[in-house]
Amino acid sequence: MKQWFRYALLLCLALPGSAWAADIAEAVKARLSSPQVLRGQFEQQKSVAGFKKPLLSSGEFLLWRGHGVLWQTRKPFESSLVVSPDKLSAESGQASYQLESSREPALQAMNELLFALLAGDVAVLQKRFLTDGGLRGKDAWVLALTPREPGLARVFKRVILEGERHVKLVRLEEANGDSSLIRFDKLVEASAPMAEEAKRLGR
Amino acid sequence: MAAKRLSLWLAAVWAVVVLGTVLHQVQFWRAARLNTDVLALLPENEQAPAVSAATRKLAEQSQRQIVLLVGASDWSQTRRAAQLVQARLATQPALLQPAAVDAGKLDAAVAFYQPWRDRLLTQEQLRALASAPSEQWASTALMRLYQPAAGPQFGDRLADPLGLWQDWWAERAAESPARPRDGLLWLQGKGQQWALLNYQFQGAAFAVTGEAPLAELLQASRVELAAQGMGEIRLLAAGVPLHAEAAAAQANREMSTIGWGSLLAVLLLVWLTFRSLRPIVLVGLSLLIGCGVALSVTAMLFGQVHLLTLVFGASLVGVAEDYGFHYFAARQGRPASERWQVLRGLLPGMALALLTSVVAYMALGLAPFPGLRQMAVFSVAGLLAAFLTVVCWFPLFDRGALPQTAFARYLANSLTRWPRWQPNRKGWLLALVLMVVLGVGLSRLQSRDDLRQLQGSPAGLMAEQLEVGRLLGMPSPGQFYLVAGDSPEQLLQREEGLKARLDDLVRDGVLPGYRAVSDWLPSLATQQRAALLTAQAERHALAAIAEQTGEQPARPVQAPQALDPATWLASPAASIIAAQWLGELDGKHYSVLMLRGLSPAMLPALNKAATDLPGVRWVDKTAEISSLLARYRLGMSWLLLAGYVAVFVALAWRFRLAAWRALLPTLLGSLLVLALLGLLGVPLQLFNVLALVLLLGMGVDYGIFLLEHPGDGTAWLAVALAGVSTLLSFGLLAFSATPALQAFGLTMLLGELLIWLLTPCFRPGEAFAREQVEATPVSQLATANHQP
Repeated sequence: MKQWFRYALLLCLALPGSAWAADIAEAVKARLSSPQVLRGQFEQQKSVAGFKKPLLSSGEFLLWRGHGVLWQTRKPFESSLVVSPDKLSAESGQASYQLESSREPALQAMNELLFALLAGDVAVLQKRFLTDGGLRGKDAWVLALTPREPGLARVFKRVILEGERHVKLVRLEEANGDSSLIRFDKLVEASAPMAEEAKRLGR
Repeated sequence: MAAKRLSLWLAAVWAVVVLGTVLHQVQFWRAARLNTDVLALLPENEQAPAVSAATRKLAEQSQRQIVLLVGASDWSQTRRAAQLVQARLATQPALLQPAAVDAGKLDAAVAFYQPWRDRLLTQEQLRALASAPSEQWASTALMRLYQPAAGPQFGDRLADPLGLWQDWWAERAAESPARPRDGLLWLQGKGQQWALLNYQFQGAAFAVTGEAPLAELLQASRVELAAQGMGEIRLLAAGVPLHAEAAAAQANREMSTIGWGSLLAVLLLVWLTFRSLRPIVLVGLSLLIGCGVALSVTAMLFGQVHLLTLVFGASLVGVAEDYGFHYFAARQGRPASERWQVLRGLLPGMALALLTSVVAYMALGLAPFPGLRQMAVFSVAGLLAAFLTVVCWFPLFDRGALPQTAFARYLANSLTRWPRWQPNRKGWLLALVLMVVLGVGLSRLQSRDDLRQLQGSPAGLMAEQLEVGRLLGMPSPGQFYLVAGDSPEQLLQREEGLKARLDDLVRDGVLPGYRAVSDWLPSLATQQRAALLTAQAERHALAAIAEQTGEQPARPVQAPQALDPATWLASPAASIIAAQWLGELDGKHYSVLMLRGLSPAMLPALNKAATDLPGVRWVDKTAEISSLLARYRLGMSWLLLAGYVAVFVALAWRFRLAAWRALLPTLLGSLLVLALLGLLGVPLQLFNVLALVLLLGMGVDYGIFLLEHPGDGTAWLAVALAGVSTLLSFGLLAFSATPALQAFGLTMLLGELLIWLLTPCFRPGEAFAREQVEATPVSQLATANHQP
């Protein structure tokens, strides 16, 4: 019930400002670049219920438009996550798991969403989230995203994106109260991934 | 004088009965309780009441469900179309209501299961937890903890460090391909994006008014979609109410064509033959009373009247008119003062004819099909009422002159011109040709016993039903496993044993999936094992997390006891699969395990999977009904043979050496029908055989009449009229959309026609006629009339 109220409230707030929100989305899109491939480093601070200190991790990532995401954690231990349109696989030490979108139909939508978040793909995000935000200075921008559909609201309470030419920060506020703050650094555009990366993404 | 008083008294008594029927009919049609369920026509499985209970419960569950799928190549278009359809359907809240949104139900179920989450593991998890090394759990926990959020998380991470709870729910959710998206249920299939809309039918049982509000509403939605430029959007509908509605509308149409069609034809014949208003009114009256009484008696005996009974019953008109015809054929050309004598002279013959027809109809009721019994009762009551109307009322109201008409004279005289078979060269040659036709036709005759005979749903509706079923992977209601146990615990353990076998079939790609109660309520033994395995793996996981982070996370407290059936049944979670939990029956507990995505090729493997598992029974309703139909087809065939022997014995006793003349036309006609079916490639089924039983009862009558009154034109007149009208009403039945009635009608139509044409060919020659001519005054009079 509470969830429903929040949803309705957001809807009311969003309606009068929708023209303005559309402008913001346009403005953010204009400031973002959309390369074929984007590489960089990340630092993640995850606050989890039951832990006094946030959990820190860092590593490298790669976004390949239309093909997926590589998420390679280096610290505190080696771990990798590969998300492509038809499968999700993770590996760490002795553990590994795989999900295939042929078995879990929602996975494809989830992957599209994850990519959009990291790449700041406003058009895709607007389909799933109510968008709010503003421009900062000459280059920067902020977007606050609230899920439109109950299915997504089960996962995220709110998502904040900040960036300039690229997304520089993602803050995921989960429905269960946990949250992750991910900062991106040393971002480099490229026109194609390296052979090994392409292979890991199943191409 | 005493006889006159008796007949007046009888007429008055009959008037009271008719008045009662009228009152009952008014009441009946105001709130017609009609049964549209095909399964209601079939006998209950008496050897296995649990199978019947299971079938009933599964049927009840889907009684009111209507499922709609809106599909387009692009989701945003699907959404717009779905909203349009929803808005359209919302205009008729008294007819359809959206089924409760699933999200609330899911939240309640998640909350309910939470305390027992450590006892709920999928088969795969059970296997993995029992076999994988402890280091693997440590790695899994750390990986999950440090990964960015990428999926739904029930509750906090530490409570489920290995994501077991989450994966268990993922498997539960996989039972349906639909997922929430933009406030709708979304699925993909056949290259299209579909929105799933669930509705509950709100109306009462279907009356035979000929209206189809559901179909009209859906059609209006389609028209509106097309008007909005979304003509290529697909709107699929499935659900029992749609089929019931179509059946009711169809029955209404067929009742009208068969009932009114044959009534009109009969009255036209009466008018042509007698050119007087009185016979029309009286014959029409006898038919209306016959049908009214038939319906009232059926309703009172069975409580509910089945639609197919009404359709079949409409053909009664063509049989019940016989008595009126006999009366007026004999009465024609005689003064009004002789009408009582005429009736008295006819009474023994008519009573005998009634008796044979009643016996033939009762033979239909021998098969333990509730539907056939209804039809038999309906027909017997109708014939009796029509007979009594003739006997009690006709002479009373039939005053005034009734001169013989030219048409009647022409028809009566046609008997003398009719060809006669004679044992000469031409005759034997004809017989040889006939034997060849029979031989070829009968050798090609095949049989098919199939449940679909009873299913008259429009093809379009059936196709949509199948497509929706495939897209949603809906479990089949016709094939399932029935699992029994002395206690709920034994039952659940046996289910789990069966599931282990089925998992192999799923892994090998033979079977897409199944739905079992033990998926949602594992046996206590399995819960116990799961709790131990979970505790062990999660201890390793938490230890690894503590080592990595330097914190001391504690495992949350779990429910100390297993989830027991009573607690589960009282919870909101049980409603998800309640129809498959049958509960206690005669001291045993039963559940149903349903299968998803079934195809006929899988059935042998599934049947084999159940063998040697105690308490597990493979139920194939479709095959069961087909074998039942086959059994009764054979049984009724033997009965038919016995009937022929019995009738021949009776005829031989009455007509001696001439007996074959009465029986041979019916036998030949019936065999020719079978040969024709063989030549046309129409398979033989129970309903053809039942029609042959009825043909024996009616066809022999014609032979009897021609032997009883040899050379008598009026007897032939009555036989001719009766034959033509019977032909018409059963001929109309052959146009029914229900395959069973169609088969019945077609057999009757061809058989009646052949018997009717053949009977006069075997009439006795002049010598025999002279011998018998003193038999009745009526025939004396008739033959006198026919002297050229």
